[in-house]
Amino acid sequence: MAVALRFGSNFLKNNINYVQNICRITDSYTAQIQASRNFGTEVTVKAAPLAVKKQKVSQAMKAYLERARENDEFMKTQKLEYQIGKRHLANMMGEDPETFTQEDIDNAIEYLFPSGLFDKRARPLMKSPEEVFPARKAAEFDETGRPFHSMFYTGRPNFFKLLYDIVEEMNNLNDLEERMLRRGTRADPNQKVDFTGFQWLTKDQLEAILVEQINDLEYTNFTNAMDRLVSLPFSYKSRDFINKFAKPLLDQTKQLEIPKPQFDAEGRQFVTTYECLRKTARGDVTVRLPGTGKITINGQDITYFEELQSREQVLFPLIFAEMLGKVDIEANVEGGGPSGQAGAIRWGIAMSLRSFVDQEMVESMRLAGLLQRDYRRRERKKYGQEGARRKYTWKKR
Amino acid sequence: MLRSLCSRLVPHSLVCAFTRGMSAYPPHYIEAIFSKKKQLNLKETDEYIKLSHMPIKAAKNDESESIFYNELVNKMVNYITKGGNKKLARELLTKSFECMKRVQIERMNLNPDAKDTIIADPEQLLIKAIENSRPLLQLTAIKRGGVKYQVPIPVTEKRSYFLAMKWILEAAREKERKVHLPEKLAWEVLDAAYNQGRVVKKKNDLHRQCEANRAYAHYRWS
Repeated sequence: MAVALRFGSNFLKNNINYVQNICRITDSYTAQIQASRNFGTEVTVKAAPLAVKKQKVSQAMKAYLERARENDEFMKTQKLEYQIGKRHLANMMGEDPETFTQEDIDNAIEYLFPSGLFDKRARPLMKSPEEVFPARKAAEFDETGRPFHSMFYTGRPNFFKLLYDIVEEMNNLNDLEERMLRRGTRADPNQKVDFTGFQWLTKDQLEAILVEQINDLEYTNFTNAMDRLVSLPFSYKSRDFINKFAKPLLDQTKQLEIPKPQFDAEGRQFVTTYECLRKTARGDVTVRLPGTGKITINGQDITYFEELQSREQVLFPLIFAEMLGKVDIEANVEGGGPSGQAGAIRWGIAMSLRSFVDQEMVESMRLAGLLQRDYRRRERKKYGQEGARRKYTWKKR
Repeated sequence: MLRSLCSRLVPHSLVCAFTRGMSAYPPHYIEAIFSKKKQLNLKETDEYIKLSHMPIKAAKNDESESIFYNELVNKMVNYITKGGNKKLARELLTKSFECMKRVQIERMNLNPDAKDTIIADPEQLLIKAIENSRPLLQLTAIKRGGVKYQVPIPVTEKRSYFLAMKWILEAAREKERKVHLPEKLAWEVLDAAYNQGRVVKKKNDLHRQCEANRAYAHYRWS
């Protein structure tokens, strides 16, 4: 079990040596780019004695080789320790070590080392070393110190190569369009790439693919270039390239599961939404379908709220869904002020009403912002300031 | 006030790149479209399909789809509000509306021939007053060669509404202290709705000044 616990400290101790100027590597896009010249760590290590014989090796290359060798050794021991740890764990749990999966490991760790720590990342874990230690970039230069990549000195060769690739795709499409026009054929409008429901990879995902850190501006440049590529009439010809960076968006309404109404003693349909929250108010709302529009809030009618605005808020979803006078509402709220309580009830009614209206209306209600929880809270006062944002008056003298 | 919806619908990819700021919502959330009319208008464009993939912010607690809701009136309430006491502001405006209506009905009864031309709906009166007092141009000081010139520049739609409402409110608050705000506000609104009174005069003065300074207009870009 020492494996599991030592992981954290191991990582710190050993990694200091490696942190310097080496970046990470993953095996998707970069692998494709660099597939032709496969300079993975192992290959370079094997090539090292030859290189030493041939000519003097540059300092940087020497340092890199040293680091790569150390890293390989380190990973090898880590992998071994992981395998041993896994077997121990399987034996401890009385299961077959051969069929012990990562999920079993996680469960075993959770059982054997129960942790009260809130942050999940702070709890004990045992994962394969490939996951724990981030992959790193392979050598970017040869023995004489000459970089392989023509854009090495841009600092982000993979990213700028990607931009070049996009432009090349665009140029190809433009050439194609010109040739087609000369022949008198136009792009097929039916095949046009429909980008609705898709979005570009997020910055983090792109960074993971490129194995490079990019800034916000560069990410915007990427998305703008991709948008331009998609907008070209012949963009469907490079659909494969586009799909590599497109990510489907989830339909927002379909993500929310609509509860089935239950039946009460009188045979009326009803739906109860618990945990209706807004500001510090919290409550539950029951909507009953054949109703007369009776509203009960904490045993009182709508005059429970003295302010007009709060009453309007309670009625908002009913008016919007055209269910005013068709359903009965029962709500229990506590905590917070009138505005927060009204907001909580509004959300509860809107959520419950989904079961009684059609799909189109649900989408409409979502667009109206009725189905979204309002997460805004009071902003805290800051020290050295008069309030959340306001500063003390400042006089020079 | 009647901002075009399209300006809100910035492409998703663009929004992502911005920093989050102070908002409780992630940056790709868009404002709620709580008015059914606006939703219907949107449905005709192809923006609507895109919207189905976009997360929406919750509707604000002063917005509603009730027939009593009016965007401009709501904004006016917000401008009247002092120290967060919106309840009072709303009451004041309601009282003012009542006052307006009384005056208009009195006028109707005094002059039965012009009954059709007199507007008695206070909301309509307020909207008309604001429209009448919206400026088109304003003056800004621009320094050229050590001399400050008053240069006329066009006012954006949003700012013109803001200025109109601010002027009406200022005029109402300036009047004698013995009369309560609702009455003073009602008078100002009625005056402005008929294209008279201090606010409209202020607007016209500003326009006249801009006209006089038209020679400096080129300093805006040179």
